[in-house]
Amino acid sequence: MTTTAGTPGAGPVLRRRRRRLGEQVILLLLGAAAVVSVLVTIGIVVTLVTEGAPFFADVSFIDFLTGTVWQPVNGSYGMMPLLIASLWIAGIATVVAVPLGIGAAIYLSEYATEPFRKVVKPILELLAGMPTIVLGFFALESITPALQDIGVLPDGQLFSALSAGIVVGILITPLISSLSEDAMRAVPRAMREGAYGVGATKRVVSTRVVLPAALSGVMAAVVLGVSRAVGETMAVTLAAGTQPILSGDPRDPMQTITAYIVAISKGEATRGSTQYTSIFAVGIVLFVVTLAINLVAVRFVRRFRTVYQ
Amino acid sequence: MATDVPRVADSAAVRPLRRKRPRPADALFHAAVLSAVLIALSVLAWLGVSIVQSGWATLTWDFLTDPVSSRASRAGFNSALRGSLVLMLLTFAVAIPVGFAAAIYLEKFAAIGREQLLSTAYARQRRLHEMEADGTGGAALVLRRVGVRAAFAWSRIGPPVNRAVEVNISNLAAVPSIIYGLLGLAIFVTFIGLQKSLLAGGLTLALLVLPIVIISSREALRAVPVSIEQGAMALGATRWQAVSRQVVPAAIPGMLTGTILAMSRALGESAPLIVVGGVAFGTQVPSVNPLDANETPLFAMPLQIFDWTDRPQEAFQELAAAGIIVLLVVLVLMNAVAIFLRAKYSRRW
Repeated sequence: MTTTAGTPGAGPVLRRRRRRLGEQVILLLLGAAAVVSVLVTIGIVVTLVTEGAPFFADVSFIDFLTGTVWQPVNGSYGMMPLLIASLWIAGIATVVAVPLGIGAAIYLSEYATEPFRKVVKPILELLAGMPTIVLGFFALESITPALQDIGVLPDGQLFSALSAGIVVGILITPLISSLSEDAMRAVPRAMREGAYGVGATKRVVSTRVVLPAALSGVMAAVVLGVSRAVGETMAVTLAAGTQPILSGDPRDPMQTITAYIVAISKGEATRGSTQYTSIFAVGIVLFVVTLAINLVAVRFVRRFRTVYQ
Repeated sequence: MATDVPRVADSAAVRPLRRKRPRPADALFHAAVLSAVLIALSVLAWLGVSIVQSGWATLTWDFLTDPVSSRASRAGFNSALRGSLVLMLLTFAVAIPVGFAAAIYLEKFAAIGREQLLSTAYARQRRLHEMEADGTGGAALVLRRVGVRAAFAWSRIGPPVNRAVEVNISNLAAVPSIIYGLLGLAIFVTFIGLQKSLLAGGLTLALLVLPIVIISSREALRAVPVSIEQGAMALGATRWQAVSRQVVPAAIPGMLTGTILAMSRALGESAPLIVVGGVAFGTQVPSVNPLDANETPLFAMPLQIFDWTDRPQEAFQELAAAGIIVLLVVLVLMNAVAIFLRAKYSRRW
């Protein structure tokens, strides 16, 4: 211990004051970085609205939302065909991904041995991290020909909502299985043991105890998957095509909201033209739809978290 | 492990009660859930095999070193590789400082509750009164008065503001990537007036991965025990010293792991880049100097693959498949680095 300081504590106090001013600045900078994320949200809303607003000077809002003909070349902007196409593909993807994803989650959480789980889970996550352009290529080169072989699609038809929906389903399967499995593993062990204790089999425990107990987590996973499917772009652009047809047959080619934005961006739409503003107008619809779906998912997650700690 | 599935049926006490043959419904269910896993795995295998089959022959050294060309026989992937490299550098340079700073703020400073903020504000007020009593005046005193006002105001609005920021970040992470493209087009190209270039694309990708970087960095920071920080503060460190010299160094491997995974997402993104820059390729070889990024047209691996896939001729499909192999190899390498980092530096506290 050195005792050179005359009055004990005088030095440290002085140094602390100077240091704290610097720390206030640092704290402000850190906070500013957090504010950037808020600015991004504000930026998204403001740019969508300001760039999309001129569009509604040319096209009435009601016609835009309810019109059934989307032919930008003829100035006909009724976005029903795009919206229905997005919903078709999200629907097909959900039909593919929900049984696969929840089934895989049940197997990994209730049946699989630990070594199997440790190997398979990262492999499935590889599928989740696959660039969607790769899946689009896969849909065109492999899924569509396979559908033609089994006679679902007529020969020579390159684009279909069905093929795009299947590939998007493959894309969201690992997302659903991974989140659902987390929810299932969070179900307390005692609940399973209680069921086993009264003679339930693994199937009964899985379907009557674990699945209901994890239901809000599983629902959140499914809803997030749907949101991802609605916003999916590249696989859909490549596999479903670029023809905005309002159709009730999933084997037809369709153009989703996202595919339309890509189709216009690929060319040279000059700023201020109705085509340019139209991508922001459909962007607003896409943003609102996905945001609404995500908020539903957040509700499920919140309920799920409050049940079991 | 606490989360392990109980295997009650396997334990000796229960075995006599178990039926020797499983009921058909049980066996069927077992087969069904197992086949869900196997279907997912076999699709992945199918994807791998079909891409390697159609791209393997095209994947030569020349393919990696040749620039882009409209003739399939001469087209190479070099321009796309260079473009993706610059995009990653730009994304890294923007997303890391902003993302890490935001994560540190939200995890270590925003969690401070209302009571503590209020007590800090009162402490500042006491010091102000002391200074007033001493008779020290001038600019310092005015500054201090403003500071006290701000501290009280922040103790009221701070916690709800911080919570709103957190909700906002988790929502941002789920916004479709193409919306970020529209944002980048409106802000960087139309408003700021950048070229439809690598710079505009890289900045857009940085905004896209920012929420992912923040979320994963926060998880890494959370994994560091509070006792480390408390120990430092007990020895006289201020909160910032404890965080910057103890917590962040302990969390940095985890933060980098999450960042690399976020970057691998950015590397595969094409939709936002198409919206920002279109798919119009020049013939020039893009510069890898990030300072030239605003003058360099948007080249990127996924964009090049999209352009090739979009053409009807079979030769271009083979080029696209070869490009996909390269892209996937790079992605696997990035993931391997992330796994290595996690394995080498992760600590159990």
